[in-house]
Formats: sequence, C-alpha cells, structure tokens
Amino acid sequence: MNCDTLTGYGITLKRLTEDKIELVRRWRNNPKISKFMEFRDYITAEMQLAWFQKINNDQNYYYIIVFEGEEIGLINIRDVDRINGTGEPGMFIWEDKYLNSDISFRAAFTLLDFVFNELKLKKVIIHVLSNNKRAIKFNKALGYRLSENQEGIYNQEYTLTSSIYEQFKNKIIKYLQV
Amino acid sequence: MNLQNFIQNFASLFEETDSNLIVAETNFKQLDEWSSLMALSTIAMIDEEYNIQIKGDDIRNACTVADLFNVVESMK
Repeated sequence: MNCDTLTGYGITLKRLTEDKIELVRRWRNNPKISKFMEFRDYITAEMQLAWFQKINNDQNYYYIIVFEGEEIGLINIRDVDRINGTGEPGMFIWEDKYLNSDISFRAAFTLLDFVFNELKLKKVIIHVLSNNKRAIKFNKALGYRLSENQEGIYNQEYTLTSSIYEQFKNKIIKYLQV
Repeated sequence: MNLQNFIQNFASLFEETDSNLIVAETNFKQLDEWSSLMALSTIAMIDEEYNIQIKGDDIRNACTVADLFNVVESMK
C-alpha cells in the first residue's frame, strides 16, 4: 500500500515530510487556524520537529492538501488503533479562497476512503469545539454524529462509522464534478 | 428562470440568515452562515431546481448572488 500520495475527487494529498513542517508550523501558528484548535500556544521550530518525529509513523498519517498544484491545507488521521479499528481525523484549509468551499468535502472524502478502504478502520472519532458551527455542520454532512454524553462539553466528540460514511458520501459525490 | 426566483431559492438554503439580506448584490461568501456545506447545497439546489451542474470553481469565482445567477443563465 502506497500511503505517500492519495488522490481522488480532484484532490491530491501528499504525505507530510520534514521539509514541509515549517510551512505547516506557519499555518498552524496563525490565529485564523489556531482559534479553532484546543492547543493554541505558539509552536516553536523545536516543538514542531519533536511533533513531526512523534507522528511520522504508521499510527499517524498527515497530508498536505494539494489542489491544482497549490498547497492549501493539512488533513490527517492520527492515533490509528488497528486492534480496535479507530482513529481521529482532522483538517484545516489555509488558503482563504478555498475556505468554505467544495474543497473541504473533496479532501475529506479522499482521506476517509483511505481510512475505511485501505487502513480498514471501523470508525473514526473527531473532537469539535462546540462553538465551531461551520465544522459541526460540515461533519454532520459527512455523517458524523455526536457521541453519547457530550452535551455541555466544550470540545465535543463525534463518531463516524464506515457504513454511515458510505451512505452520506453517496448522497454528496454527484455534486462534486471533477 | 428569473433573478428574483433564483434569489428566493438561494435564500431558502440559509437557516439563520435574514432572507432580506440576500439580494442580487449580496456578496454571499461574506455572510456568517456561508460554509462548505452551503457551497455544496448551492450546487445541489441549482442541479435540482434548474437541472444545471455547476462546479465548485463557479462558486469560487462568483462574488454576488447575481454572479451565480449569470453562471446558471450562461449554462442553459
């Protein structure tokens, strides 16, 4: 299985390599991205390198989102647990012109196809800040449902299973002409 | 198909935005409620109401509701 490049839905995902971690650090430290993250402290070059060394393995897959040759954001599945068949996806779009567009769906489908069809995970779990209405609506459109006992929690857990994902994806992909 | 009807259909996609705020000149991507899901819903609405398949690029290149209407008009 070649995990270095994933393609689909008009999008390419390129596995994060060390030469790109400064680019990601610049994106991640910008308040327009960090305001949606639970961890908002300034990330130093040393912290970024330590983080990359921790995630550059087969439990974590981080990808630069590439659209029409432009590097526009980051998407990942982390904490892959092959025994329980779980993992935690995440994504952000850096380029303003691609924010709030079909690109988020294209990138999510490309990653989730990999997650469910290649990694063979059974379900994925995400955490979304309860005030991030756009992210909540987006993830619900992908089929995510609020996990049990999450009411009143700031960083809420949502779950998506493989079968629900396929149902929701099939309703949407006809609107994503390449 | 006319502009007023198109604006009405477009405005109906919004749940929280006052429909009076949505007119031909509205820069729809500046609306708080605009999102990836709204972009997809717009593509779906145009497909279902007008049987015309626009692309994400068409939305990215449009600024106002009238721009979107003109895209759909040009594809008829």
